[in-house]
Amino acid sequence: MPVTLGLPRMRQEAGERRDFLPDLVRRVLATGVEVVVEHGIGSGMGLTEADYTGLSPGVRAADRATAWKQDVVLVLRSPEVEEYPALLRPGTTLVSMIHFPTRPRRIRKLKELACEAISLDSLAGDDGQRLVENTRAVGWNGLEAAFDALQKHSRRLESRDILRVTVMGAGQVGKHAVEAALKYGSVARYAEWSPRMPPVEVCTVGRSLTSDTVYLRERFARTDVLVDATQRSDATRPLVPNEWIGWLPPHAVICDLVVDPYVPTGKPPTVRSIEGIPKGDLDKWIFLAGEPDWTRTIPDGVPSAQRRTSVTCYSWPGIHPEECMRHYGRQLWPLLERLLGRGGVDGLSVRGDFLERALHRASLRSWFVDGDRVERVQALD
Amino acid sequence: MSEKNPPPRRIGLPRLHKEAGERRDFLPSLVEFMGRVGAEEIVIEKGYGSGMEVPEAEYLAASPRARIGTFQECVGQDLVITIRCPSEEALSAIRPGTTLVSMLHFPTRPRRVARLRELNVRGVSLDEVKDELGQRLVQNMQAVGWNGVRAAFDVLRKQYRRFEEPGRRPLRVTLMGSGAVGGYAAHAAVRYGNPALRQELADKGVRGVEVTLVDYELTSDENYMLTLLEQTDLLIDATQRPDPSRVIIRNEWVAALPQHAVVLDLSVDPYDFSVTPPEVKGIEGLPEGNLDKYVFQPDDPAWDAVDPRVGHVHRRTSLSCYSWPGLEPRKCMEVYSKQIEPVLRVILERGLDGIDPAKGPYYDRAVARADLARWRVGRP
Repeated sequence: MPVTLGLPRMRQEAGERRDFLPDLVRRVLATGVEVVVEHGIGSGMGLTEADYTGLSPGVRAADRATAWKQDVVLVLRSPEVEEYPALLRPGTTLVSMIHFPTRPRRIRKLKELACEAISLDSLAGDDGQRLVENTRAVGWNGLEAAFDALQKHSRRLESRDILRVTVMGAGQVGKHAVEAALKYGSVARYAEWSPRMPPVEVCTVGRSLTSDTVYLRERFARTDVLVDATQRSDATRPLVPNEWIGWLPPHAVICDLVVDPYVPTGKPPTVRSIEGIPKGDLDKWIFLAGEPDWTRTIPDGVPSAQRRTSVTCYSWPGIHPEECMRHYGRQLWPLLERLLGRGGVDGLSVRGDFLERALHRASLRSWFVDGDRVERVQALD
Repeated sequence: MSEKNPPPRRIGLPRLHKEAGERRDFLPSLVEFMGRVGAEEIVIEKGYGSGMEVPEAEYLAASPRARIGTFQECVGQDLVITIRCPSEEALSAIRPGTTLVSMLHFPTRPRRVARLRELNVRGVSLDEVKDELGQRLVQNMQAVGWNGVRAAFDVLRKQYRRFEEPGRRPLRVTLMGSGAVGGYAAHAAVRYGNPALRQELADKGVRGVEVTLVDYELTSDENYMLTLLEQTDLLIDATQRPDPSRVIIRNEWVAALPQHAVVLDLSVDPYDFSVTPPEVKGIEGLPEGNLDKYVFQPDDPAWDAVDPRVGHVHRRTSLSCYSWPGLEPRKCMEVYSKQIEPVLRVILERGLDGIDPAKGPYYDRAVARADLARWRVGRP
């Protein structure tokens, strides 16, 4: 039965300000589980250690290593696999966005270290819908940044009849992007802009039109904001070759919600969906077409001559850290409550209820890896 | 209801009798589940499952506690479960003290709420089972969007002669509403509501579908809308209007649509002339459809039956169905059966009076939000 929960901080980049909030800690404490938070927790969001430790004697602040030594360790973004041996001890259950299907090395290392794990991105209902996700924040925060950029860097917006947004991709992220675009990327901006600014028309196109160059050329020429919310089936080819960016008006803004990486060393190499745009993160996500370090994150050989102001961020939800963590905390709580209540992964049953089944499917023991091939263990489904 | 009632043990599964085309019933898997979590007797109405070609024997085999009975016997149990709210007549047949689990739509059906209270029937409204973020836990919005759009493209394919021509322009869908249903409708529309058809047309070199989404700022702009409608092949209403007495598309505007255009009503708001001002559909003049009939050609007599206070002179082939998920009954009930299991577990294991709405587990809290005894008007 796990009796302690560790909440270490994330250190991927300076702009990463997210930590789980005191509200989640308060709920965990109510179950009798002790909590160890890493020193400095919450500081990126203006909180203090005392906001956590003041909740109850059952919560204490400690150094990073101690936070990682608890029975269950909850951290939103997983450390890199190279860091696992130094952080994890045998028997620990890591609860994090581990991305089992695409990260076989992580599976192997966790098994080698005799750890257990629940991958937050694999937590899904019986219908396959993810239970811990923030596609809404991806859509809304990305569009908020796009309209910020449009406002700052496009002239005389108010004199236009209409603002045209083209959304490529009609899945969950695309859906939220549409909603956000119709509100200029934020409810607050909508309240301010709607009486005086041109209204927004959103056009969604799926796979059947994203390769129709005649259509796209005409549509791009009238587009103020181009949003990429696609899921490509072939990551080795760009969806929008760099040349096509030239079809957009000079003031247009590209909003990248896909944030695929450039992997030039991959076999075959993978490229970004919109060719020749930089890769952003929580330190910097707006890139002006004329800025000198445009190519800093673009590998040699990738065409990038055609440029438009672009907004792109590896972790769009992290732009509004507190809101993001409130959302994740609410989604995660019932699952965490069940996991802790069952005494950890060993207590979960595939024949349990909705939450238990979801946890079981997302646990390390439900995944099998052979070389680079990762599969869910079918017998457990 | 101040006295604490024990969990119900005797369950009734009456059939849905709204229309002949209503073929949905819960599946044997749910009967098996209820038998496992505490039901002592499960009375299933004769003919249950027949609309989906599920034989009675499968229900009986699912649990030794199951038996076949009459409608009256079903509604005479402690816990009555039905996906759609029973008719007024059927409601009256339910005995006082019974728990009724159904889509009861408390916020928009004040008369139903009053009636249930009058009958001392404790409703648990499946559309009100929500998590702390307000997300519905028993819903099938995906089927609303996909089934409606698929049906609309089937009709468009038949009546637009250029539908499969490689030389035609991309099809244009105008979608009003960007909420959950609108999201699924857009997802479906870029695929013609049918991924296999999309692939078939792509293989022939036929150009795809563009979906234009517009909000209030543009739908209230007559010039813009008339221009847009002139180029629209499929017009979809997936809105949730704050004021259902106001139309979005006036009947005169329907005349701007090409003759081959199709109109799809996913909002399925009813006409209600018993309130002031009267409540009308978002697209003025559309007939009200159901599972028996949901496609209305312009010469269909259903148009003439629309109340004369509503303009309905201008017509295009229209689709409207009170229950779009019901078009694919088995798939629909597979979704609902899975979603309803944790709700029933709470009711059968702890009973509605045994749950803690504030500190209880996740599903206890969600069920408490849907319990008529705890529900108040205006509560989120």
